[in-house]
Amino acid sequence: MDILQDLLLGFQVALSLKNLAFCFIGVLIGTLLGVLPGIGPITGVAVLVPITFGMNATTAIITMAGVYYGAMYGGSTTSILINVPGESSSVVTTLDGYQMARKGRAGPALGMAALSSFIAGTFSVVLLTVVAPPLVKFALAFGPPEYFALTFMGLTLVTSLSGDSMIKCVMSGVLGLLLACVGIDAVTGTARFTYGEIYLLDGFGFISVAVGLFAVAEVLINLEQPAQEVYTRTKLSIRTLFPNLQDWKDSFWPIWRGSVIGFFIGVLPGGGATIASFISYAVEKRMSKHPEKFGTGIIEGVAAPEGSTNAAAIGHFVTLLALGIPGTATMAIMMGVFLIHGLRPGPLLFESNPEFVWGLIASMYIGNVMLIILNMPLIGIWVSMLRVPYKILMPLIVTISSVGIYATENNTFDMWVMLAFGILGYFMRKFDFPAAPVVLALVLGPMVEKSLRQSLSIAHGSVAIFFNRPISAVLLAVSFISLCIPLVRAARQEFAKKRPGDGKQAP
Amino acid sequence: MGKADKIIGLIMLIFSGLVIEESLRMPQEGGNFEPGIRFLPFWLGVLLAILSALLMVSGWRKSAEGAARRMLPSRQAVIAIVLLVAGLAAYIAVLETLGFLIATLLFNAFLMAVVMRAPRNMTLAVAVGASLAIYVIFRILLEVPLPKNMFGF
Repeated sequence: MDILQDLLLGFQVALSLKNLAFCFIGVLIGTLLGVLPGIGPITGVAVLVPITFGMNATTAIITMAGVYYGAMYGGSTTSILINVPGESSSVVTTLDGYQMARKGRAGPALGMAALSSFIAGTFSVVLLTVVAPPLVKFALAFGPPEYFALTFMGLTLVTSLSGDSMIKCVMSGVLGLLLACVGIDAVTGTARFTYGEIYLLDGFGFISVAVGLFAVAEVLINLEQPAQEVYTRTKLSIRTLFPNLQDWKDSFWPIWRGSVIGFFIGVLPGGGATIASFISYAVEKRMSKHPEKFGTGIIEGVAAPEGSTNAAAIGHFVTLLALGIPGTATMAIMMGVFLIHGLRPGPLLFESNPEFVWGLIASMYIGNVMLIILNMPLIGIWVSMLRVPYKILMPLIVTISSVGIYATENNTFDMWVMLAFGILGYFMRKFDFPAAPVVLALVLGPMVEKSLRQSLSIAHGSVAIFFNRPISAVLLAVSFISLCIPLVRAARQEFAKKRPGDGKQAP
Repeated sequence: MGKADKIIGLIMLIFSGLVIEESLRMPQEGGNFEPGIRFLPFWLGVLLAILSALLMVSGWRKSAEGAARRMLPSRQAVIAIVLLVAGLAAYIAVLETLGFLIATLLFNAFLMAVVMRAPRNMTLAVAVGASLAIYVIFRILLEVPLPKNMFGF
């Protein structure tokens, strides 16, 4: 009952005309920023912090929160339409979303991304409202061994991103882990694989690698078919723009599973939306009766990661509001906004400024509704982008990607990285090496290594620490099983090839 | 495809050797019972070497089974790809010298006219329109600093 009363207070605050207007502005700007490659939620929030200086604290945070989850959604638009991930958590959406666009189903893909984000986001806000305190206690139980087990499990899920060749998939993952080793080691401060290059001290920028491997490589691949249309022409009637009944049936459970996965991973400090989207996709592929269809353009491949991404975005607020710990870089900037306005996030904030905290939580319900109202009508406009002749679209894709990359660090080194990985991505596509494991491993690699080394340091070199703790033991068991299943499946297929057709068992 | 896998496997095997060699040159620190900075790159190099060998074996088997050959891109497509890569490299190289507006205008004009072989009017319209639109979005709306030339634009 207390929670309901607090929430009603929050709605009273959030439904003021001023807060409604700024929530809308935040969601709108966030969506537009999310569409631009290289300008993701963190850049969007950081760039817009100064405009909040003249606002009161509640309005400022409501605006920034709108920018944040607006950008999360916006990143999926270019992922689906032109295979350019707007930010890291949109990479997985390219796997099926772009293939849906090529089949003439861009509208349903965009529609399901919006609706899945809305359902998952709303569900997560309810979870945030109700279960934040006990969840935070659970998150506090995560130490380095648990983080290692979680991120290792994330890495083993890379096998679910394989196409025909498990070997090539794992090789892509190993390449991503090696890329993650470049730069200054977080534990000792020693440079690795930098060869004296100052720009490599920070390692390879994730977004430069991702835009190169996906966007630039895609442009190079499409140059091989200059006379053919890249996209299937489709009538843009109202009916074709939105998901149909079958789409809803196929997406129902993926959305809910994605919501739960995304929220719980978002609650963990360091548990970003990117990891949530990969895990959610991999889980759906594992649970599907037709896993071979993933990557060919199916609606579940869009619904699950999009839902988990938005759920994770909401989950991030749990540790910030309840503990005062920013779990991700974007939350750190949010925390800066809190501090600028004289507020310190944490459990005391719930008591000292309840109208602020509950106003923010209530605004998330409202912001999710605004997101869907704003973006559903825009689907027709986004899809009509595909009518633009490819010879006009291609230069725009390349130029906007390049400028977006330049904007991240204001130097051309990242653009060279983008180009190099674009060429690599082209050859990877030609020789059937999947690119998604590279980016997954690039994100997870530093966390895996840091938590492994911290755990071994705590345990004085003993690996038993990973098995003595129940959470990490369970996660490692799941990892082991997820590694074995594809190997057993591959071995059985190989065995079936050698003994064709009569169905008789070997003596 | 079998032949390609054998070649790629060999290249990756050599690469993994270089990774192992480089990681062995890293200082063996690892105080406080933690494994040190060479631990992960070394074992990744070993894993990559094993996978490369497996890929070569797989490629040899595919060749033996007579797997279908991959179709190569046409000469026209190869030229377009090389031109785009060269154009993008030139764009990056001159961006901070010529400034954003001129460099982007020239780059877009090159892509339209040379790579995509678009008509002159379309080339001019897209080159000018795209450069200005991107400038307005990034420089004016988002206040992202973009490179300027010695004349200040």
